Amino acid sequence: MTVTFTFLDWLWVALFLILMLGSGILFYRLGKRSESDFFLAGRDLPWWLPASSVYATHTATDTPMWITGVIYKNGMAGIWYTFFCGWAAISAFVSTRIFRRSLAYTQAEWNVVRFTGLGSELLRGWMAGWQFFMNMFVLGWVGIAMGRICEYLFAWPTWIGLIVFSLVCAVYVLAAGYWGVVMADFQQGVIAFLVIIIVSAWGIHTAGGPTGIIEKLDVMGQLDRINPFAFTGWWSGDFPIAWFITMMLIAFLGGFGMGTTIDWYVEAQRIQSAKTVRDASYSIWWGTILGLIRNSVWAVAILAFFVLFPNITEQSEYEMGWFRLGFDYLPAGMLGFFFAAILAIHLSTISSHLNLGALYATRDLYQHYVNPQASQKRLVQVGRISTAILLLGSFFYGLIMEDITSWLIFALWIMAAGIWLPNILQVVWWRFNAWGYLSSWIANLGFSWLVVWILPELNLIPNLLDYQQFWILMILGALVYFPVTLLTKSESMDHLVHYYVMSRPIGWWGPVREEAIRRGLILVNGDLVAGAEQASRPSDTFPTVE
Amino acid sequence: MIRKTWSAHEADEWTKEDWIAIVLSPLCYVLITIGAALTILLQVSGYIMLILGIGLTIYMHLVIDPKLKAISNEYEKKQQTYLEELEAKVRWKPINQKPS
Repeated sequence: MTVTFTFLDWLWVALFLILMLGSGILFYRLGKRSESDFFLAGRDLPWWLPASSVYATHTATDTPMWITGVIYKNGMAGIWYTFFCGWAAISAFVSTRIFRRSLAYTQAEWNVVRFTGLGSELLRGWMAGWQFFMNMFVLGWVGIAMGRICEYLFAWPTWIGLIVFSLVCAVYVLAAGYWGVVMADFQQGVIAFLVIIIVSAWGIHTAGGPTGIIEKLDVMGQLDRINPFAFTGWWSGDFPIAWFITMMLIAFLGGFGMGTTIDWYVEAQRIQSAKTVRDASYSIWWGTILGLIRNSVWAVAILAFFVLFPNITEQSEYEMGWFRLGFDYLPAGMLGFFFAAILAIHLSTISSHLNLGALYATRDLYQHYVNPQASQKRLVQVGRISTAILLLGSFFYGLIMEDITSWLIFALWIMAAGIWLPNILQVVWWRFNAWGYLSSWIANLGFSWLVVWILPELNLIPNLLDYQQFWILMILGALVYFPVTLLTKSESMDHLVHYYVMSRPIGWWGPVREEAIRRGLILVNGDLVAGAEQASRPSDTFPTVE
Repeated sequence: MIRKTWSAHEADEWTKEDWIAIVLSPLCYVLITIGAALTILLQVSGYIMLILGIGLTIYMHLVIDPKLKAISNEYEKKQQTYLEELEAKVRWKPINQKPS
């Protein structure tokens, strides 16, 4: 299909782009004040701003395609796929609080707050480099999704949609840094949410309303599609209960850890930009629930699309279902508004990943390893240069990426499977050390490729279902990182006590807590315990960095 | 009963209020998400789930909010010192401050 825009349609698009560019101009002076301003908005945001950024960032151009794919294929039961963000439910009250108290700019920096010595530095360097390229990769796949949409709508070559709008976005990210990102995200979040509701409601109405959809599904013998619990048995079929349990377990219990899904790294920046621990918790909780409610609306709209077009077999075709509801059925003059909302969805994701990737490059690589004495002005400059490099790299990635879904799922598994448990252990278990964590990453990289791609390709193992891959990768990883942890020294008690007093982590921290009490750094029932040392010796309480 | 006042050291400990939030929060997510979808489809089960989800969300916030405020207030007093340490660490400088 191709869409023809009227003058009014292009006016909507132009007004939206002017509004976004305005964010860059308005907040230029705030963004350039310091590294903290350019990357964390001075750590002074009320909860609803980072919450809107959480929501807007995770409403990307590929999100409606992906959700449409799973709902069209599986019916309402497919909504459980979208619960991979459920980690935020527990995280908001556990790991978010712990991470906010560490004050680390990034998850890479958190490694040197939690661990010590060479292992912690290796982790920081590795994670920073990996995140820099991971953000470039995300920018590429989100960008190419926009390219596909523009190709679908206007028959433009893919590269135009990939490059043009990312360039516009880069203007306000380069100018105002995170200030520009978060202020634009707020506007984009509002616009996107409204339009998602309008287009979905329009599609549902077109399909005959809620009653009409159910009647048509009944006639088609597909009434099970409105049942979110329509599983295909315990172990068999496309939608077994075993998969469901695995999915919920990964999603929710992951909230005890940090980095249990790829989204954590984006959220970590929002957590640190919140002005208090309480604001950080609410920003994660409310930003995520808003995304889940959005998924509910989308799910029903996709059921509407299904009853309108029930026989599509090509995944690439039915993945465009939600966009078709808008472009096929909205009245003239509203198409531009819809496209502006798609741009809002796109720009919010692009801007966040541009600034986040630049944060890792600036804080963890440049400042820590290249120029530790850099001035604030210099750090902001490096932030801008890194943003530009990310942008150019994302164009390269985008142009070589063809199958969005398989890359996305593989990237999520890389993140989730073998390091899921280590990501929790690093938060809840005092004995887990830098070498254990580092070994889990190395092992997971190897095992993921083997289990997901190489061994099935060589017919050495069958193609496994994703929940089966998860458990296998988890067990294989554990066979490496548990021995490594227990065969290497724990972190120094001085460092652990310092970390414990600052972050107050949950879990198995008994020996560290006892030591902190003994040193008089933690009160028990409001008092020092008998025999506790007064916290007056700096060498005990705040050890020198080695 | 909902506890309204917290001392600094009490708020820093993990208590039953945290566990109430930890247990209820995923439940709220599920009930609101599935409840909202089924409500749009005019299903009675959707209305029930959505109302339950909203009710639990309000209760969870009433339980955890006083504690989060106390944690935040206490932590803000120490934040500047911790930030200075973080800056020293990124610049490879020794840390020898005392807690505020």
